[in-house]
Amino acid sequence: MRPALALLGARAAQAALTAWLLATLCFAFMHALPGDMALRVAAARVGDERVTVETTERIRREEGLDRPLAVQYAAWLGRVATGDLGQSLVSRQPVRQEIAYHGRFTLGLGALGWLVSYLIALPLGIACGFAPGGWLDRVTTGIAVALASLPSFLVGIGLISVFALSLRWLPPAGYRTGAHMVLPALTLALGLAAFSVRVIRNAVVEVRGAFYMTFARIRGRSAASAFRHHGVRNAAIPVATFAALQFAYMVDGFVVVEMLFNYPGLGELLVKALLARDVPVVMGAGLVIGLVYAGVNLLADLACLALDPRQAARAAA
Amino acid sequence: MSPLALVIRGLVIRDGHGATVVADVDLEVEAGGTLVLIGETGSGKSLIAQAVMGLLPQGFTAGGTIAINGHAAVDAGQAGLLRLFWSRETMLLPQEPRAALDPTMRIGRQLFERTGRGDAVAALQAVGLAPEVAQAYPSMLSGGMAQRVLVASVLVGRAPLLIADEPTKGLDPERLDQTRDLLLSLGQAGRALMVITHDTALARALGGRLAVLREGRIVEQGESAAVFAAPRQPYTRAWVEADPSRWRPSLRCCAVDAPVLAGHGLRFGFRGRPALFERLDIHVPRGGVLALTGPSGCGKTTLGNILLGLQAPDAGQVSWAGADPYRDRAALKRLRRRYQKLHQDPASVFLPGRSIGLQLSDLAQVAPELDLSSDLPPLLERLRLDPRLLRRRPGEVSGGEAQRLALARILLMKPELIVADEPTSRLDPLVQRETIALLREVVAGEGVGLVLIGHDRALLAATADDVITIGR
Amino acid sequence: MSGQALSELTKPHSEEPRSSVSQDDPERAGVTFETHSFRMLARVRAEGGYRLKAGLALPLVLLAVVAGLAMFGPLLSPHDPTMQDLLHALEGPSLAHPLGTDHVGRDVFARLAHGAGRSLGIALACVGAATGVGLGLGLIAAYAGRWSDMAIMRLADLMLAFPGILLALLISGFLGGGVLPMLIGIKLTLWPQFARMARAIAQGELKEPHVEAARLAGFPARTLLIRHVLPAVLRQTTTLATLGLGAAIMSISALGFLGLGLQPPTPEWGAMIGELLPYISEAPVQMAAPCLAIFISVLGATLLGQALSEPDSGKETAG
Repeated sequence: MRPALALLGARAAQAALTAWLLATLCFAFMHALPGDMALRVAAARVGDERVTVETTERIRREEGLDRPLAVQYAAWLGRVATGDLGQSLVSRQPVRQEIAYHGRFTLGLGALGWLVSYLIALPLGIACGFAPGGWLDRVTTGIAVALASLPSFLVGIGLISVFALSLRWLPPAGYRTGAHMVLPALTLALGLAAFSVRVIRNAVVEVRGAFYMTFARIRGRSAASAFRHHGVRNAAIPVATFAALQFAYMVDGFVVVEMLFNYPGLGELLVKALLARDVPVVMGAGLVIGLVYAGVNLLADLACLALDPRQAARAAA
Repeated sequence: MSPLALVIRGLVIRDGHGATVVADVDLEVEAGGTLVLIGETGSGKSLIAQAVMGLLPQGFTAGGTIAINGHAAVDAGQAGLLRLFWSRETMLLPQEPRAALDPTMRIGRQLFERTGRGDAVAALQAVGLAPEVAQAYPSMLSGGMAQRVLVASVLVGRAPLLIADEPTKGLDPERLDQTRDLLLSLGQAGRALMVITHDTALARALGGRLAVLREGRIVEQGESAAVFAAPRQPYTRAWVEADPSRWRPSLRCCAVDAPVLAGHGLRFGFRGRPALFERLDIHVPRGGVLALTGPSGCGKTTLGNILLGLQAPDAGQVSWAGADPYRDRAALKRLRRRYQKLHQDPASVFLPGRSIGLQLSDLAQVAPELDLSSDLPPLLERLRLDPRLLRRRPGEVSGGEAQRLALARILLMKPELIVADEPTSRLDPLVQRETIALLREVVAGEGVGLVLIGHDRALLAATADDVITIGR
Repeated sequence: MSGQALSELTKPHSEEPRSSVSQDDPERAGVTFETHSFRMLARVRAEGGYRLKAGLALPLVLLAVVAGLAMFGPLLSPHDPTMQDLLHALEGPSLAHPLGTDHVGRDVFARLAHGAGRSLGIALACVGAATGVGLGLGLIAAYAGRWSDMAIMRLADLMLAFPGILLALLISGFLGGGVLPMLIGIKLTLWPQFARMARAIAQGELKEPHVEAARLAGFPARTLLIRHVLPAVLRQTTTLATLGLGAAIMSISALGFLGLGLQPPTPEWGAMIGELLPYISEAPVQMAAPCLAIFISVLGATLLGQALSEPDSGKETAG
């Protein structure tokens, strides 16, 4: 299992670097803003009108804002490393609590969107891969290109206008019932499927054209048996790799989709925190997204390792 | 009398544009007999194999009939019908053995799934492989092992007719002998063989019947031994004589000049690996030919690069007429253009997409003494190159022309030493002979030193004054 | 579309055997020019041709429409794109306002036209900067090797560790909107793709005999890189750059939609959509116009990228 450990190490390093860069960005931002930092924190904590010189000074001492910059930076990195991100400047809730609350919504939406996207893309991609150039393939490719050219908020607006405003089947925004999940998840799924359907199709076409498939038939297998034995596994390798890359698209997707549908997930939290300059929350949300991305990449690496003995050999060398 | 294993009548193959690439081919393979089909690149010999297997590339069409193992003759255009013979009647030994194996599945599971364990082990042993190979993934096998694995899978199969498409393409001499022995053993096991090759030595060793193909037509066929002993057609005769083992040895030149190139105590190894060679001494006199040979991966090409100042050795010195290019930067700058290389793939020494003539005149940017208008025409004439070729781009000239143009490019720089790295391994025998003859002429005429890197022992022995074997 | 997904769309060259016939072969361009109807977009070659075959005409027309809107639109419209007129808010299309007015009575056509130049201009600047930085660093990494290669590639990995537009979002959000933060943010998410691809191509190219032959003839490193390596790199990154253009347009509009892009009164397509979203039922035309504009420009860029990535027509194999 040495190769798996090496991958784990590489992805852990990726996560650590992401966290470091994020922490540095946030630190630089906090200190680069014009005006007195202690004053801003005080204003955020007790409200603009009630800020006094005393509270400002107390906060300056409490938060260590009077120390040299390098010391503050080290202290900040230490806090990030231990996961202690303090309180939101806006809601005054602990950042962890905020993230746990909003993360739950995003997790549900993301999982559902991902699942639906593969429910669409897998059968369609395989069907297209078996008849490249056929009518289904042409129609699918055309739709996929069009969908890939639409930012996710446009897909969402389209779905809202059709299903919520014209047909009135589904609620346009909100989060209280299962019906509220349908449009956001579908928006996300369509955006994901636009890319994965082509990756799946190309993987299937490529594998079907591979000489080892022909050779398996020369050795006496039927076409179906050759595909079952040799095709599925080989086609799964690029698809698994792409599934991890797609997480990047998911981030674009859920940030925008949550804002569009007024859905209280991590993306909405992040954007609102950015607009309100709520640095601890931005830091927390960014950190979670970066770490999950590293985790997803690790899973994809491990899947490829299990599927493809060549990668295992290369990783072991 | 047992029926013939393969009868091809009036086979015609047309490419996607409707041009005829194979015409009027009649061939027969007796049950348990061997037929060798030889011809140069582009003669259409692989297409005949593909037609028999029903595997012609998309867009190609075939006419004529093919009868296999006594079954009723099938229209050659009916690829679907020919595919019904797969595995039970016909079997293919593919050109690229590794591409034929699923990279994600162990050998045993994909090739010997329906064979008893004992039979599989016996088949692997018959080709000289340990039974553990069944547990290996294809990527763990060398090309030669992959080929033997495929032969083993053929041994456990039933197909009486085997078609081997260029089984020795790109192999070094040791593996070449192995492959020949494997094919011979298949023949002895009673299988009928149709072997496609451009290797005359292999054709000679396999015996049986021989058919010589040229531009899609059979120019001569008969018993192999008889054809080799007394070829009737001029084309066949040229082929037989182009075999390096038939060449007259070179006139040993007796230059006693100071060596134009020398290496002392050379050592080189890739990081973390044992040294490829150490304490190697080399010297090449003006007008002398030194051959370097050895199995693939032994470091021949690397040694060539070390001698050319491209790759510093781990230990030892290189001397260019007394100056060390790795330590004396002034000498490197002064002598750089005098030490040149002739590459294996001649067209690729020219930048794609730019006319060859322009690329030759580019040389004036770094070689101020070069005067193309006076130097180039006599050179082209000597190398029998049409000046109109200079207007073409690298992809638009033939392999032989490209090699002569590459030689012209080097000679413009008035070299003192040329390292020729397998300069003819991708050329057909006739062009190979011509190119080597030209190189010999240059070496003798201009007093250039030549380091010839290659696999073909007979060719090297006939060309070089001295042969150094590297590795093991 | 995220930067990372781009590489999936530009894969062909990695496994395609290199051919000496260049992409801009006039005869080939003539052939592809004929396939312009949408129905023909997915015309797939008989053997192994599983990539979308799109002509160059349709994407060029689409991009020309947007470029025309950016260049001539402001001249055609007499209205100031930031001039509010609350008395005429949310009016439908009329002669005075061909695309109607928005929730504060600004002329939508004027805003659309002024926004076109901005979207295209910023997107082009992002891609230009990302290509320049990416190719430069990629070539250096490939040629110098060793520690500079390590350093550049680790830096690229670091950027890629931020999924999608997260980095652009953070930088734009922190620096408070405006052209420059957006440019920096989007450029940072795009350049690693170019650097990786340029490095891979350059490494392959540097091993080519024509580079070795030029080195043996005594050509300096500069000539090797510019004459022998750069053309191949440019040829193969054109597609990525075109697709990057589409990605940049999408990112700009997404940032604008989220309110993290250009500052409010500035006309920008994404921001227009975001602002009009609450009035979607009352102002369908005003809403559809910027949506269509984004769609047309991204589709144009995507299709152009795919048309450019079409490999040379398949070579027949003969034995």
